[in-house]
Amino acid sequence: MAWSHLRLSALPQQGGVLTKNNPLTPAARRALVESRKRASLGWRIIHWLGSLQLALVLLSTIAIACAAATIAESEFSTKIAQTYIYKAPWFLVWLGVLCINLFSVTLTRWPWEKKHVGFIITHYGIITLLVGAMIGLHTGFEGNVTLHKDKPPLRKVTVNRSIIQVESPTDTALYVMPFDASVARPSIKSPRVFDVPGTQLRIVADDFSDNLRKEETLAQSSKGGPGVLLRFTSPRMAQIVDMPLVLESDSPTEKDFFGLANIVLQRDPPMKTEATPPETQMVFGRFAPVVQGSTIPTGVAVSLSQDGRKVTISTADATSATYLREEIMRKPLAAAGSLVTVEDYWPDFEMRDGRPTTKSGDPNNPAALVRIQSSSGDGKPALVLSPKGNGISYQLQRSGKSYANGVAEKGDSFALGWADWEAELIESLPMAEITTFLKPGLPLPEGEVGIPGFRAKLTSNETSNVPSRWVPSGEITTLTDGKNVVRIGYGLELRPVPFSIRLVDFEVPRYEGTETPSNFIASVEFQDAATGELKTGTARMNHPASFPGTILANITGINYKFSQAEWNPRDLDETTLQVLYDPGWLFKWLGSLLVCVGISIMFYLKPKSTPRPS
Amino acid sequence: MSRSFFQYIAVAAVVFLTSPALFAIDTSGIEDIAIQEGGRKKPFLVFAHETLLGMTGKSSFSKDGRSLNAIFTVTSIWLAPKGWENEPLILINNQKFKSQVGLNPRKKLFAYRELAESGALRTALNEVSNLRSKNPRASLDIIQREVSNIGMRLALFEGLVSGNLVTLLPTAAAAWSPLPTEDPALIELRRGLLQNNQGAFNRGLELLRSEQASEEVRFQADPAKIAIEVAYQKIHPFRWAWILYLVAGILLITIPGSAGYILGWIFSGAGFLLQVSGFVLRILISGRAPVTNMYESVVWVAFGTILFALIFEAIYRSRYFLLGAVPVAVASLILADTQPVILNSAINPLVPVLADNFWLTTHVLSITLSYGAFALALGVGHIILGKTIFGSKASPALNNYLYRTLQVGVLLLAVGTLLGGVWANYSWGRFWDWDPKETWALIALLVYLFLLHGRIAGKWAGFGMAVGAVLAFQSIIMAWYGVNFILGVGLHSYGFGSGGLPGAVAFVSVEFLFVAIAVFRHRFLARKAATA
Repeated sequence: MAWSHLRLSALPQQGGVLTKNNPLTPAARRALVESRKRASLGWRIIHWLGSLQLALVLLSTIAIACAAATIAESEFSTKIAQTYIYKAPWFLVWLGVLCINLFSVTLTRWPWEKKHVGFIITHYGIITLLVGAMIGLHTGFEGNVTLHKDKPPLRKVTVNRSIIQVESPTDTALYVMPFDASVARPSIKSPRVFDVPGTQLRIVADDFSDNLRKEETLAQSSKGGPGVLLRFTSPRMAQIVDMPLVLESDSPTEKDFFGLANIVLQRDPPMKTEATPPETQMVFGRFAPVVQGSTIPTGVAVSLSQDGRKVTISTADATSATYLREEIMRKPLAAAGSLVTVEDYWPDFEMRDGRPTTKSGDPNNPAALVRIQSSSGDGKPALVLSPKGNGISYQLQRSGKSYANGVAEKGDSFALGWADWEAELIESLPMAEITTFLKPGLPLPEGEVGIPGFRAKLTSNETSNVPSRWVPSGEITTLTDGKNVVRIGYGLELRPVPFSIRLVDFEVPRYEGTETPSNFIASVEFQDAATGELKTGTARMNHPASFPGTILANITGINYKFSQAEWNPRDLDETTLQVLYDPGWLFKWLGSLLVCVGISIMFYLKPKSTPRPS
Repeated sequence: MSRSFFQYIAVAAVVFLTSPALFAIDTSGIEDIAIQEGGRKKPFLVFAHETLLGMTGKSSFSKDGRSLNAIFTVTSIWLAPKGWENEPLILINNQKFKSQVGLNPRKKLFAYRELAESGALRTALNEVSNLRSKNPRASLDIIQREVSNIGMRLALFEGLVSGNLVTLLPTAAAAWSPLPTEDPALIELRRGLLQNNQGAFNRGLELLRSEQASEEVRFQADPAKIAIEVAYQKIHPFRWAWILYLVAGILLITIPGSAGYILGWIFSGAGFLLQVSGFVLRILISGRAPVTNMYESVVWVAFGTILFALIFEAIYRSRYFLLGAVPVAVASLILADTQPVILNSAINPLVPVLADNFWLTTHVLSITLSYGAFALALGVGHIILGKTIFGSKASPALNNYLYRTLQVGVLLLAVGTLLGGVWANYSWGRFWDWDPKETWALIALLVYLFLLHGRIAGKWAGFGMAVGAVLAFQSIIMAWYGVNFILGVGLHSYGFGSGGLPGAVAFVSVEFLFVAIAVFRHRFLARKAATA
């Protein structure tokens, strides 16, 4: 054993307890600190960890991070601020370092004296508070529950945390992992990969949309009835809408078309309903220039150009459209609620044996047979379809009266007489089913909320090119790579609670003479799941209802608290309560108390050892 | 909007073909008539003041070179609306928005008709109301907030013209109703105003009083409360308080020795008592602690600054505390007195979350008092920096005063922030969730702790602490004003407002400039001392 080379200094006092009667002089304390730092690595580390320099770095960085977070929250969203700062791992680590700093600094003051009491209480108070926060973060939860007076009691609450649930194909166990696609925003460039437990399979999320839309399409099937897929287009509104229809039974399938019309698919051809009589007119290019619907006042006028190549249709509101005659032969055109069809054409018209014929191919006397079918009526129009061969027969009706009918093969289009909508038969299958698929819609305008979701595929080492599927929030989606099937769910976590809760009554008193609520009062009833015991509670503004709600539960925070969160002005039988379960509560309020008491002692109850500077 | 208005005009024009040629009668008799509006019963004087302020941003209206008081203007719009649609009564502040909708950006006040005819404004109003109806808690940007304010101003005007806003009749239902068209009191009041007939107007008031008194007592207004509120509205206790503080400050500077000191004490003490009585009246009227909006908190911080200055003066008998406190208190009170659009002094019902809670009151009072202490530290810090700029050195005592003040602030801010956590736990269910207001209170606390710990570490002392006290106060500005008026997100939304940003930016810039000059001078003096 060798002597270490030391300068002579005051050695630590033996015992090291609260030396009430003989406090160290500042010089003696400094010397003591110096000597123990030289003597032991442990003390050196403690003094470094408890240094004021580290404290200053921590205070300033936490303050700057918080300031940045509030700006991020204002500019982007609360979620972003929470994910990248407040609840980010680095921030929690930083708070942990703060705890170590706070603890170490109390050790550096060893041996403690009376003047250190306030200082120690304050610093341990902050540690207690932060410990409470950690306990709350890891064992507690925050969620909400929407209750309705007419609905049965609820046993689960929605937690403000997005999760992904995976059902492993090897066992039936459900694996849960926090995952918020709207924050993580998986993309092709930075996909998010989840291992499916117990298998070699992986789920790869590689796209995100906050506005998933459900669309339907027609698919071949081994069972099921005949089906058709119609495509409706409106050039003026720049709209294309696909609509699949499948006949499930003998009764007709009916769908609504934007409230504009009904689309009906039925087994039997449309009944010959009493049709408004169409008006057929011969239009001449050279002579009588204009023919107008006269038997029914449709207000539509049709004329043929002198060379017979163009047809002009004008309506009562003075809009007119000119078409190349060849292109519109036997196609019904919608005009002011009527359908105009050029049925036949003769370039060099002549009546022979009472029948129209053409003398030559030259347009010497062009004539066209035009049918004007009024579709005006009060009722909503309907398109009635029935399968016919490889195509369909259709009938257009208004007020129960048919105004047009025909047959269409795959690829055929026909006018509908509703604004400028046209229908095209895309597919007709003898046995079909309707399948739905999800498609990301256009970005939503600010303030609107759509269905968020991510695109995922199931991959393994053996498979490579597997199709992706969109996984929407709030539903269970089945992924497959051809061999294996994995079911996954995505959405807010539902957490079971050991009791059920039911809304008995909800009141919203108002300030006098106004609609401004002055309070929200929800009366609820809890039922303990284990004992079946009933307990009532009232959640008012600033006064939560709680379960079990005993004094001990309230002090420790091992208590479910329900406070008023949201209400629905349109349905006063409904209310949303915020649910909080926070086992860290005891530490939090104890820590708060210690900090307040500690600072007061430190500033105002200091023993007057040092004379006040004057 | 415009159609309904012109209907009222048409009715008014048909029934009363004469329009008031000369405003010659005294309408002030209506001031203590009770009216139920904005969720409570108040004197007509307050209603008129708030309504005119709400529309125009001013407490009087100038017409043909004459200044008309709020009571006369509001009564006249209500009883004789003809012609008022062409008077510039609706305030629009935001320059950018005015250019957007094609209004003269240099004008502040616009006539109702001009705005009713602006298609662009109507589109903007519809957009904001759609946004709000879709999501009542949608956060609005500055332009949208301005649009929503304009919408409310237009609604005030329409409410007056239609009479629907002027709910003077107690009913057995909790809500009072406007006077019906055939009501004799209304007819007399209108006749009095239109024909400059003081007698008819006074008769109308008497009729109105007896009509109000005929309803059951429990539906009537409490006359004592109405009288208190009329008194409060007329006395302007907070205005007199800043005048007295200003006098105290001038006397402290100009009269040396104990005479000036005693006079300073007397005047600031008198101002303080006036402020206390103002708070007492306000508490009696509203039935709650006076710290629920920006206006009240500004007045309260001025109060806290003077309170701590007086306490410290009582202990240390130095004039520095009063000298530091007076400019801060006077500036805050003048701000509260002259910026009614930004700092709305109206007493409105609270959102449910703020009503009736012990922890709410204590945490807000504690935090705003800490602002007061830090404002005092700001004042004392300015004295130290000012001394440096003028080439003298602050005494150790002065430096100690600054430290003492900062201690008070840190204690109160820590207590207030933690009490806020306790309140949040009661009311929102959780202790702490990084709400911007919470977070900025914490940031301010961390900033001041940084300052105090740096002193212990020996990084700075006297002069550095003064620099710190001034700079750290900018974090209070952010926590106090910035969160509510700039960030505009979070759960403390009931205190949100708009306006005053250029002023706030100017204040912060001037402070930084002042600190920079002081630091420059300090370096210079230190070098000079070293070479000497």
